[in-house]
Amino acid sequence: MSQRILICCGAGGVGKTTTSAALALRLALDGKKVAVITIDPALRLADALGIESLSNTPQAVPLQGLSKGCTGHLDAMMLDMKATFDSIIRRHSPSEEVQNKLLQSRYYRIVSEKLAGSQEFMAMERLYQLYTDGQYDVIVVDTPPAQNAVDFLKAPKRLAGVMSEGVVKWMSRPKDKVGFRLLERSSHTIMAVMKKLVGHQTVSEIAEFFSLISELAEGFRLRSMEMIALLESENSAFVLISAASPAARAESERFLEVLQENRLPFGGAIVNRVYKAPKDPDRVPEHKMPLCPPSVDAERWREVCEAIAALPPLQAQLAAGDARYCAALADNAPVWTVPKLTLDIHDLKSLVQVSDHLKKASDHLVPKTP
Amino acid sequence: MNSGKTRILVVIGKGGVGKTTVTAALGLRAAAQGKRVLMVEAAGAERLPPLFERPGRSYAPRQCAPNLYTLSITAQEAIEDYVMLRLRVRALYKLVFGNRIVGPFINAVPGLQDLVHLGKIYHLEGSNKRGRPEWDLIVFDAPSTGHGLSMLAAPQTMMTMTRAGPFHENAAVVERLFSDREKTKLVLVANPDEMVVNETLDLYSRLEDRKDQVTSVVLNEFMPAPFPSTHAWPDLRHHFDALPEAQQLCDEAVSRTEAQNKAHNRIVEGTGCTPMILPFLLDRDLKLPELQRLAQYLDDGT
Repeated sequence: MSQRILICCGAGGVGKTTTSAALALRLALDGKKVAVITIDPALRLADALGIESLSNTPQAVPLQGLSKGCTGHLDAMMLDMKATFDSIIRRHSPSEEVQNKLLQSRYYRIVSEKLAGSQEFMAMERLYQLYTDGQYDVIVVDTPPAQNAVDFLKAPKRLAGVMSEGVVKWMSRPKDKVGFRLLERSSHTIMAVMKKLVGHQTVSEIAEFFSLISELAEGFRLRSMEMIALLESENSAFVLISAASPAARAESERFLEVLQENRLPFGGAIVNRVYKAPKDPDRVPEHKMPLCPPSVDAERWREVCEAIAALPPLQAQLAAGDARYCAALADNAPVWTVPKLTLDIHDLKSLVQVSDHLKKASDHLVPKTP
Repeated sequence: MNSGKTRILVVIGKGGVGKTTVTAALGLRAAAQGKRVLMVEAAGAERLPPLFERPGRSYAPRQCAPNLYTLSITAQEAIEDYVMLRLRVRALYKLVFGNRIVGPFINAVPGLQDLVHLGKIYHLEGSNKRGRPEWDLIVFDAPSTGHGLSMLAAPQTMMTMTRAGPFHENAAVVERLFSDREKTKLVLVANPDEMVVNETLDLYSRLEDRKDQVTSVVLNEFMPAPFPSTHAWPDLRHHFDALPEAQQLCDEAVSRTEAQNKAHNRIVEGTGCTPMILPFLLDRDLKLPELQRLAQYLDDGT
């Protein structure tokens, strides 16, 4: 069976990491061999999964206590950006000298954390490594916190652009070629302007970094192409994690547009924290209310009864609002909802409760093999 | 909150907690007091104008209500602005930044994109018209948690990286304004969700020596308690056994109230600030009337 890849995208604050973990857990409880790559999980979620520190090494999540005779397996890891970037440098460096120079460069240390798109690239790199290892049925990837869901899709190309050979070719352009003289003059101007703006030392340091990294450019380029091919393949599915809010609708539209433009496969949307409609949305009629027990103060009893009578219509109103936003997403794709849960995720059992709501989503995203 | 000397309010917090809503409410509040207020968005966002039914984005200030303006920064526009200020020759800007190869290079300078956002706000703060400041107050809807922090740290990042030179000097002036305890204040936004409170307290601790710039914490989306004496519910609930659905809804409402109170107390303990509470609004399509209602909750004591 070919491996399935689920990439969970969404804006910050929608419960992306928790949903990724719960989805992976659901699949494992259903008997699949699953890995989940989380990025910057909240401390308690990490505790629940048993991954206390940054580590690129998969840690087995103990499932035995959760479901008797469970044949599935779940490995979790917390993306270690620097270790992943270092491993790329080691793999693609043409010589030990280049490798050591890069790893020790002051600029590299700043860049490996902060360069736009590098976190996304590293998440994909780790995904690709796991994919080629071929040990799992399903790999679930949480994506870095973003302003919006689309950021993740754009990031790898951005980074590949920065790493391209272009910058370096231009910086180390041979000065003896007659044909380049005109260009040369403008290059000098550009360099002079940049030095005036950024300062001489910074420009030199950055230039050195780029000339070193250029030696790896071909490796980067090939790897990005392989990653893109994997993401475009029918083994992959992008899952939009969202919330019931006015902003979510616009975001979902943009997300689908970008997926289409890039010919990336869409799996569906999971909407979190949705209010469930009450079976009976009407006020509880007075005659159904119990009589005030003698031990309770009549005034306080009235307050409680009034509150309880008003709760179903309030809940109905909240649920109707949510349903409206979910319906707006549904035009384009399957939408699964997870109700607003008043539980605190601090152990595996509470995560199982979340994952119970993702049964339909997981069955759709990873169809059962006959 | 906006004492006389405050020039900039930076609104920070976890994504999805309502920073933009709070920015709009703070802006409305100050504008209603007769101040000329500019609300600034980062990274080309255009979330504020639609709240005032003026969709679209603009790098130039655009009026959205009496005394109230919006502006949205992209790093590219801010870099062009900055470069033009130093070079004064547009052709040179085009030569350098229009260059297909140099573009990515410039984007790779760590923290530069963040720094130019603050640089633009620095210029707006210093802008004068007819001998007085053009803006009485700037409210900045900052990027969420991690990015917001690294944006605030961008001047220092740049100063460490460059050690000397023009960028270093520029970063230093921007840093001076944004760490000025009287001129620049921080507003932390959270909601009562436990995970959000955890992250907010973590954010607060990572503010380190900027902690005393925090002027207030806003606790958004607070649901009202179903009835005043919710602590008595466990003793009363069995009387409602014949109404299981209503009983369960009440269980949920009561535990939500308890969770909210706990969140409130944790914020007080963790930050020393008594949070300002904004109510949860049933209609999530926020428009001017709702924002004005929220603005009234942001009592600044002036």
